[in-house]
This record gives sequence, C-alpha cells and structure tokens, in this order.
Amino acid sequence: MKFALFLGCQIPIRLKQYETSSRAILERLGVGLVDIEEFNCCGYPLRNIEFKAFLLSSVRNLALAEKKKLNVMTLCQCCYGSLKKANFLLKENASLRKEVNAILEREGLPYEGKVEVKHLLNVLHQEVGVEAIKKKIAKTFKGLKIAAHYGCHALRPSQVVGFDNPVSPSIFDQLVEATGAESISWPMRLECCGAPLWGINDELSMDLTLKKLNDGKESGAEYLCVACPYCHLQFDAVQKKILAQRGVDHSLPSILYPQLLGLSMGIDSGTLGLKMNEIPIIEIERLQTEQMEIPAQK
Amino acid sequence: MKLGFYRRIQKGLKILIHSRPFSQSWMGRSLSMIQLMELDACTHCGMCTSRCSVGIAFEEIPNINILPSEKLASIKALASGRPLEEREIRDLQEGVTLCTNCYRCTVVCPVGIDLQNLWIKVRGLLLQRGIPELSVLSPFSFYRGLMKEETTQGDYDRPLTQAREAIASQCDLLRNREKILPLTSADRRLQDGLNLSTQAKTFSACFGCQTCTTVCPVVGNYDRPQEALGLLPHQIMQAAGLGLRDLAFGSNMLWDCLTCYQCQEQCPQGVCVTDVLYELKNLAVKYVKEKVL
Repeated sequence: MKFALFLGCQIPIRLKQYETSSRAILERLGVGLVDIEEFNCCGYPLRNIEFKAFLLSSVRNLALAEKKKLNVMTLCQCCYGSLKKANFLLKENASLRKEVNAILEREGLPYEGKVEVKHLLNVLHQEVGVEAIKKKIAKTFKGLKIAAHYGCHALRPSQVVGFDNPVSPSIFDQLVEATGAESISWPMRLECCGAPLWGINDELSMDLTLKKLNDGKESGAEYLCVACPYCHLQFDAVQKKILAQRGVDHSLPSILYPQLLGLSMGIDSGTLGLKMNEIPIIEIERLQTEQMEIPAQK
Repeated sequence: MKLGFYRRIQKGLKILIHSRPFSQSWMGRSLSMIQLMELDACTHCGMCTSRCSVGIAFEEIPNINILPSEKLASIKALASGRPLEEREIRDLQEGVTLCTNCYRCTVVCPVGIDLQNLWIKVRGLLLQRGIPELSVLSPFSFYRGLMKEETTQGDYDRPLTQAREAIASQCDLLRNREKILPLTSADRRLQDGLNLSTQAKTFSACFGCQTCTTVCPVVGNYDRPQEALGLLPHQIMQAAGLGLRDLAFGSNMLWDCLTCYQCQEQCPQGVCVTDVLYELKNLAVKYVKEKVL
C-alpha cells in the first residue's frame, strides 16, 4: 500500500506535528508514502478568484501523481475537496479536460484521470481497517471523551467526494473509538469550523467557531479531534485569540487524529509534537492506561 | 563589546545601502536594511519560481508578479525609486496577495533570501495605499488573519473594507431599494457567464423553497440576516436567474460564504448552490477589476 503524500501549503510550515505524527502512525501501519517535491497548491484559495487557475493547479498535482502511478493521500480536507472536485470535473467534462491538458502537456504532464484521491481518514478506515489499527494499540484511553469534527470539505458535496454518509457519518467516530476513547455524539458535529472566513470576516468566523466549541463543551467533550490543518489552526491558534478577545474562561483543546492514535500506539510525544499545539494537550497522556487490557480467554 | 562590534558593522552596511537610491523611495525607506541587501543579492536564478506553490496560476491569471522571481524584480524597481505605473503597482499588489504563505520560496532560495517575509512586508505596505485588492476576500487571507496582532486594527481592517466598498460601488441597484424590478431577465450576460462548470448552470432549477437559506450557518448567525448579508442564498439563485448582477455581486452573503456545502447537499432540486456562489465570485472579481482597477 503506497500513496503520494500531499501535504499542501499549511502543514510543512505551520503544523509540522501533523506531518510527523502522520508519518509515524502510517509507518507502523505499513502504509508507504512517496514525497513528490513538485506538488503545488491544490487550488483551494484560487477557486474564489479564478476557476481555471484553481482547476489547473489541482490537476497538475494529479498529473504528477499519475506519472508515478500513485494514488494521492491528503492530510488536509480542503486539499482533499479541491483535488476531488478537479478530478470529478475532468471526468465529466471533456472540454475542460482538453483545455487543462493543453497547458499541462507543455510540461509533459497530460492527465488521463487515473488517480484516486483519498484523505488520511479514508486510508485508515478503508485501506488499513479499524481491526488492524486495534492490533497496534499499546495503551488505551479510559473515560476520555472526544468530540470528532468531521470537516465540511471531506463530507460535502457527497456526490463529488464520496467520503462517508454525509448526513450520518461514522468513520471518524470508529477511528477515535479504536483508541479506547469515547467519541461523543454532539449536535453540531457536522458544522463548519469557521476557518474559511478567518482573515475575511473575523467576527463572523469567531461567532461560528465559538458556537461549535460551546456545543462540544456542553456535550461533555474534553478534547476536539480533527484531521485537517485549517480546522486545527482554527480550533487551536484562533481559539486562543477567541478566548482572549471574547473573555471565554475555558478552552476545548484540539488534538490532531494522528496525535491521538500515535499516543495509543505508544509513539513518543516528541515525534507526535504534542507540545507544538498552542492550546496545551499534554494532559491527555495521563488519561491512558499503562497496559492494554488483555481480552479474557475463552 | 560584542554589541559594539555589531553596531559598527551595521553602520558600515548602512553607508553602503544609503549610497544606493534605495533611501529616496518610499518602498526603499520602508524595507529593513537586510531586505534591501537581499534585493541586491538576488541573482534571478528562478529557483523560487520553479517551486512556487501558486506559480502555475500564472498560466490563467496573466500577471507576472505571481512568480516570486519577477515579484522581487518589481519590488527592487520600486525600492530603487523607478516610478512604476499605477497598473504595475496593482499587479505587484495582486502578486503578493495571491500567495499561500507556504515559505517554499524562502526554503529553496540558494542565496538564502527570506523571500516569504519580503512578500509579507510588501503586502502590508501596498494594501495600505488605498488600491482595492479583491483577493483579500478569499482564503489567501487566512495567514494574514493568524498574524493580525502584528498590525494595528485599523490597518488590518482597511484592505477588507476597501475591497467590499469597491464591489459595492459597482452595484447601484443595491442602494436603490425602492426600485421596481422587471420579471424578465435584466442581463443575460450574468447567466451566460455562469458556464465554467455544468454545476454552475443549475441555478435555473431553483424553485425558491429556501432550504439552502434555512440550513446556512452564516444566515443562522444573524437575527436579521438580510441587514447583514443582503440577499440570502436562495435569493442569489433567483438573482442569477433574473440577471440581477448588482444584487448578486453586492450582497455580503456572497463574500461571507463558508463554502461548507450545507446548502448544496440539501437542495431538493439539485442546485449546486455553493458552486454557483463560487462562480459568481469569479465573475464579480473580473467585473469589478475591469470597472475600478
């Protein structure tokens, strides 16, 4: 099992812990990763400005992976949504395909449409499988309540992404529960984190984030769990600003899924970059039982 | 002792720098000494451009300042006091804004120039000069938001307000609320423009049930959403059908859309609401750029 790892623009510079923790868990689970240096932006921010610039950026990445005969795995849900959308558009629209390929051919990168785009959570759930993950668990969490945040661009538009059931998804909950933690049910779990408006309309963005955080806290969550750099930066760096600006007294810290899983696999906190999160999550280690419970023999 | 030595070196370097025309231009005066030296150090090898995350966009947005190596050349010209035309300054402003702040240019520069922080600095300077930059109303601004403590609130808000004002200035109908609208299409060009993807054409299937508006978290955030947002999602679909460009482009709803796809997912008519909003934004950027910029 091998994928071209698509890191995008945010992770390598602002969220290195997401990369190191993902690499660590995937290595233990036997998922091979190939780095393609020439990857560029997925086109997500460009889509607001110029559709064709978005499409070209996105497809160029797919073409690079196709040349290496690899499928793409993203860690970012906005990258995932953009690449999926581009793949979908090119499959259904021959004239767009022709137009984009006319430009890419100059670089020797015509795209035939053979690449499949997957998100980290898809790979863990479908390719590796929850049972295989459970076998690698060394320490389980006991009584830890996690609010799993699915992320908009992974779930919707379902016709394009096909990530999970868009109304009642469960793959993230199953993956969280593989660590022994409880994935709570919370009313706003499928809502947006607010990040797409951060930097554009901060007041609105903060309103939406705060609503979601309050909903998580009221539902009993001790941590939010995310699998997207934008969502995480919003719930971490931006939440810190919200706490100060809106006078909120306690936070709901965000942990990246590979950090949570990594802890259960017994990976050291340095590799997982636990201290790199702005809102501290180091306390979570205390909630682990030292040894895995040995299932009763029949 | 150590500090004294450092100061002497700095003094010597300052003399060198100030012997160049850099000190006479506003850009030259605004950049740090290190940044001015870096402008001189660039060998124009093109490594930054070859690895730029958004460089590929140049194929579709014909602005050479999207490419880092060319951006640097424009900044150098500006810092050297060469008068750049208004058009060139606008292009440079767009070039430093269409940047994901991924720092790859800085990482790959063989000379060791901190290109990323140069773009950030120049972006900060240019955005205060009053030329509206519409791309600040996109996720390209995410990093600017993360770093907002580094600017004053006024300087931070100004480019965002200016961009919205530039759009509103081209939307007369928005201010003329008493005007009676015809029920025939006012401007077919708007509908015809929504043609980049098949999804964008679905606006015509809207029968006004308001499901999109009901599920929109942005609409739900306001007690009186129309006061804050102008037209709501279902009304924007109708405006597209009626060719009411001013109402569609000028509504804050368009620019405050999260692209969370709740509306599109739940539309009983299969209208790709979010995709339509995306394409309307593209059309608005193009339209306003042609009119104002």
